[in-house]
Amino acid sequence: MQEFLQLVVSGIATGGIFASLALALVLIYNAMGLVNFAQGEMAMLATFVAYSLINRGMSFWIAFPVTLVLAFGGGVVIQRLVIRPVERAPVLALVIITLGLATLVNGLAGFIWGYVPRSFASPFSPDSVDLAGVFVSYRDLGVIAVSGLVLLAVYLLLQRTTVGLTLRAAAHHPEASRLLGVQVSWMLALGWGLASAVGAVSGMMAAPILLLEPNMMQAIIIYAFAAAVLGGIESPLGAVVGGLIVGVTVNLAGAYLPGVGGDLQLAVGLAIIIAVLILKPNGLFGRAAIRRV
Amino acid sequence: MAALLELENVHAGYGPTSVLHGVSLSVPEGGVVSLLGANGAGKTTTLRAITGGVRWSGDIRFAGHSLRRMSTEDIVRRGIAHVPEGRGICTELTVDENLRLGSHLRRDGAEVQKDYGRVFDYFPVLKERRRLSASTLSGGEQQMLALARALLMRPRLMLLDEPSLGLAPIVVRSIFEIIHSINQTSQVAVLLVEQNARIALDMSSTAYVLEVGRVAVQGAGSELQGNESVRRSYLGY
Repeated sequence: MQEFLQLVVSGIATGGIFASLALALVLIYNAMGLVNFAQGEMAMLATFVAYSLINRGMSFWIAFPVTLVLAFGGGVVIQRLVIRPVERAPVLALVIITLGLATLVNGLAGFIWGYVPRSFASPFSPDSVDLAGVFVSYRDLGVIAVSGLVLLAVYLLLQRTTVGLTLRAAAHHPEASRLLGVQVSWMLALGWGLASAVGAVSGMMAAPILLLEPNMMQAIIIYAFAAAVLGGIESPLGAVVGGLIVGVTVNLAGAYLPGVGGDLQLAVGLAIIIAVLILKPNGLFGRAAIRRV
Repeated sequence: MAALLELENVHAGYGPTSVLHGVSLSVPEGGVVSLLGANGAGKTTTLRAITGGVRWSGDIRFAGHSLRRMSTEDIVRRGIAHVPEGRGICTELTVDENLRLGSHLRRDGAEVQKDYGRVFDYFPVLKERRRLSASTLSGGEQQMLALARALLMRPRLMLLDEPSLGLAPIVVRSIFEIIHSINQTSQVAVLLVEQNARIALDMSSTAYVLEVGRVAVQGAGSELQGNESVRRSYLGY
C-alpha cells in the first residue's frame, strides 16, 4: 500500500510535466484547430536556454522566469514569421510545417549544444519527507508545486482577465471577434507565446529527471498527446486532468505490469491514445464536434 | 442632416464572383435606413463591405473618413457595431462574457456600468442568465444578446443583418420595438438589412431596395410602402 501511494505521488509529479506540455498543445489547438508537433522541441530549446543561463552562474529561480519570458517571445516570433504567412493554408500543410519546425529546432539545438546528454541540476533537494508513512521526495513535491502554480496562473489568465477573454473569443469565433474589435491575429501570436512558455515549464521540470539533450522531449510529447486526447483536445482543464491520469497510470503500469518497465512504458501512452480514440473520441471533457453543413 | 455613412459606387465580391455592381447609399446621423431585397441581392455583402469583411472598390466613408484598406478591427473601433448574419454569438462563452466582449475596448468605466444598466432594462432575461453559457439561450434571446453586446460598444452606427431571422413573430415585434427605442433614446444610427420589409419600412426614414447588386429603388420608408408596384415587384407583400 505504501509503495502504491509513493508511486501515485511520483506519478502525479510526472503527470504535472505531461499536463504542462498537454496544456500547451491545447492552447494552440484551440487557437488554430491544429496540433503543434513542434511543441516538445520548442520546450527542449527553452530548457537549453535555461541551462545556458544557469551555466553562466544564474540561479535556477532567476533563470526560470527569464526563460519563460524568452520562450514567450520566441513563441510569438515563430507565429509571426512561420505560421502567420500560411495561416489560411489547409490543415495538412500546417501540420507538415509544424513537423518541419520540430526537425529544424531539434537540429538547431544539436548544432549548438551537441547530442551528448547533460545533467541539469534539480532546484529541489533530493531528500524525502515522511508524510504519514509515505515517503515523498522533495523533487516530486517541487515539480507538483511548480506545475500546479503555472497551470493555476494560466487558468486565471484565461478565465479572469480581459486578455484571456479576448484570447478565448478569438480562438473559437475569429470572425465575430473581429467585429467586436478584437485583434485576432495578435491574439493568435499571444496564444503561441503562452503555449511556448507553458511548454518550457515542462521542459525545465523534465530535464533534471531525464538528462538534457535534443531528443529529451520526444517521449514526453507522446504522453502529452495522450493526456490532451484523454482530456478532450479542446479542454485546458481536460489537459491537466489527462496529464495527471497518464502520469499515474504510466508509473503504476511500469511498476506492476510485468515487462512494462523502461522502454515499453511509452507503449502505455500510445495505448491510452488509441483506447480513447476508439472508446470516447471527444475525451473526458471534450464536447462532441457538431458542425453545421 | 449630415451623412454618417456614405457608400459611393461600391463594387464588391468574393474571388471571381462579383456581387455588388456599384451600390451608393447614405445613412444620416441618428437615422434608420433599411436595405431590402431578395435573397442574393447583395444586402449582407453590403454590410460586410462596410466592416471590411470583403474586398471592395469605390468609396465608403464613415464620419468623413474613408474606410479604404482599414482592417475590420480598426473600422469597428471607430464606432460601427455590426451584428452579423447568424448573430455572431460566442457559444463557448457565458452570456456575461459575451457582453464583456462588447465593452472590452472602453475605458470609461462609469459610463460602461450605466450602459449595462440600460441593456438589462431592455433585456431583463440576459441579467437572469448572465452566468449561463450563451449556447443555452433560445434564438430570440441570442438575438437580444447580440443587440445588447452591440449597444455596449456604444457605437455611432449599428449594422443589423436580419434581426428577425428564425424568430417567432411576437419576438420579432418586441426586438424591433427595442431597436426603435434604442435609436430614439441614444441617437444611434441604424442600417437594417431585412427580409421582413413591412416591419423594416415602418421604422425607417429611408429605404433602399437592392436587386442583383444594384440599388433598384430608393425613397422614404412611407413612400415605398405606399407604392403598390414597388411593393409587389420588390417587397413581395
